[in-house]
Amino acid sequence: MSPESSSRPTPPDGPSRFNRRRAIALLGGGLLLLTVVALVARRGGDGGAHVASVEPRSPSGGSASARAQGRAGAAPAAEAGEAVAGAPRYDATTCWKDLERFNEGVSIDTFREWAAPLLVSRDPLVRMYLKERLTELIGNDAGRAGQVLEWTRDAGPKEFKVFAMALKDSEAVHLPEVSRKMLELGMDAALEPERRAGVLSSLDTQKQLSPDALAKLADFAKDPASGEAGWAAARTIARVMKNDHERSANAAPYLDKLLNIGTQSLDEHVRYMALSTPMETAPVLDASATEGFAKVLTTEGSPDGRGAAAHNLALSADRAKVLETFARAFEPEQDVCVRWSLFRFSARAAGKDALPVMANMALVDPRFQPTYQDFERIYASGVVDFERVWLALADQDPYGCLHRD
Amino acid sequence: MTRTFLLAPALCLLTLSSLAHATETPPPPPALQPETCSVEGLMDSIRRGLQSKSPAYRRYLSELLKESAVTLPEAQLRAAFERETEPVMVEHLGAALVAKTERGESPATLQLVGKRASTDADPAVRAASTRALRRTSAEEHTGDLYSRLVRDASPEVRMEAATNLIEDNQFVYAGLHGPASDMAVAAAVASSDSKVTARILDNISTAAISKESADQLHTLLGGDDAQVRAAAAKALGGVPAPEMSRARQTLVALYREESDVGVRTAILQSLARLGFASAVPELTALRNVDPRLSTEVDAWVRALSTGLQEWSLILREKQRLQQAR
Repeated sequence: MSPESSSRPTPPDGPSRFNRRRAIALLGGGLLLLTVVALVARRGGDGGAHVASVEPRSPSGGSASARAQGRAGAAPAAEAGEAVAGAPRYDATTCWKDLERFNEGVSIDTFREWAAPLLVSRDPLVRMYLKERLTELIGNDAGRAGQVLEWTRDAGPKEFKVFAMALKDSEAVHLPEVSRKMLELGMDAALEPERRAGVLSSLDTQKQLSPDALAKLADFAKDPASGEAGWAAARTIARVMKNDHERSANAAPYLDKLLNIGTQSLDEHVRYMALSTPMETAPVLDASATEGFAKVLTTEGSPDGRGAAAHNLALSADRAKVLETFARAFEPEQDVCVRWSLFRFSARAAGKDALPVMANMALVDPRFQPTYQDFERIYASGVVDFERVWLALADQDPYGCLHRD
Repeated sequence: MTRTFLLAPALCLLTLSSLAHATETPPPPPALQPETCSVEGLMDSIRRGLQSKSPAYRRYLSELLKESAVTLPEAQLRAAFERETEPVMVEHLGAALVAKTERGESPATLQLVGKRASTDADPAVRAASTRALRRTSAEEHTGDLYSRLVRDASPEVRMEAATNLIEDNQFVYAGLHGPASDMAVAAAVASSDSKVTARILDNISTAAISKESADQLHTLLGGDDAQVRAAAAKALGGVPAPEMSRARQTLVALYREESDVGVRTAILQSLARLGFASAVPELTALRNVDPRLSTEVDAWVRALSTGLQEWSLILREKQRLQQAR
């Protein structure tokens, strides 16, 4: 399964900052989590008794079902299933007369006119079809991609999503002249911020970003004038980092920019986006990134940002340094949820070897005693994989950090 | 004169062609009126849509039928399913019936598809019905169906059944539901087809299997087919905590007795998985047993020495370290 377990892409422009925060949390858990999202989605309507027993929460701190609910762009099946637990009631689907003729006869030149009644409809299936059909029509043709990009300048909100997502998934989006134009349009101050955010998000599928594009996006993300779109720019950097890292293990230049945004942006939401998104890629941090995120633990004002830094640090190549950093940061840290991050991510950094550090943390803050004993018990049972350690915990949210915002 | 003579018809042709272009009126846009879906209408659309060159349109029709299923009259849907003999259409209709059960209707609807998967005379229809059960709750409503499907006379059906067990294990149960993993192990053991046995065991999570299932994996290690032995060895790498120590001991001993390089490779992976950094001395001790695998042992030792604490990350790093060399 693709990690975005739904075949439906996330809409390029999210609805609100609150939901975005949830969407970011979604990025944190890796394959395990996402498969559980699939499980919850699939089981949504029939309330199978075993679901509760197998639903884990992620080490990054969100429950699978919370993620499923907060998931933008979930399949209609999942949405319907979640909405009606206990009392199923389903809306009838819509069949469209003449859609076959539309499908066979439509071209890039007639698409916008012909699809107009469907583009404004509330039928998610047909809108998804339109997105995919438009992706097919764009193909690998820079001219057609440019035409659709032009449409995004004045498209209404519903049309816009179809156009932007179709572009994002097209082959042509990888042509340099197309991605260059998209970047230019995304930064065009004449456009409203939501539209710029959507256009920039269409770059999320890029295989890599040139140093120039990366620098532009990072500067744009940090610029207070970018508003909404700055947030999207930071997310695009993180998403392309994931693509590039999967192919070539290359994360360093992206991480550098994200750390830069995460420490310099004046907007807490943009900083959190930059600090939290590396979780999804899970790169092994080099010395420079380790130092950068370690600094965030003491300089970042937002507890969420500090927690995200701890999450990333768990995968540093220098485990000893991370344990030392976490041990030092624990006592001065006043927020119990950040302390919980430092505590559990010590285990993710060094496994059983972290137990002495965790024991000291539990001495500093006795609330961590029962959790410490739980970790000790699980490691003593022979389990070594942190994912399995996590699943074996008696309580994955012992300090009520899951829903505190 | 000659030139003029030659140009004249050419100009004439150009004019004609532009005239023709000018008079060609584009077809009117399709009306695209919303209407209520019916079983018959959907089946017609799908039958015709199968010819479409657009995968987007074919996906749409298939999704539309599944999403519509819950509000379509069950009797009509059942009748259409029972009448249908074209495998592709059987799969669509079967998936629609299964979707009804998935949305809270009686398991009997899904069981109808299970029955066809095991009893239809046409192996292509049995395979199509089996596919219709994929990534659903079918395992919970169909008794010993999978142990029968993996023994089907048709290799296609056996392999489709294996794929269901693998994908259900991963995508429906996240590899964490004991009964689903046990059912997959039982089916792997029950299969008469060693390719099927190996494929299932190679691709399921055994994190939640019972002691009985673990016992069966140990038994399979002694079989004749190297592919099966390798898959069983790999499956033992992911067993629950109470089974880890026994698996580790068995695999270390087996490595020395085994001669097949594929089985030995699988054993090395499982030892790495069962022990992480603590497996390094074990692996190093085995390094010289088989010179063909000394670089493999080295690769594991390097990957485990990164100190990463998650199996998926260790696998990723091992692959990278090997590519980088």
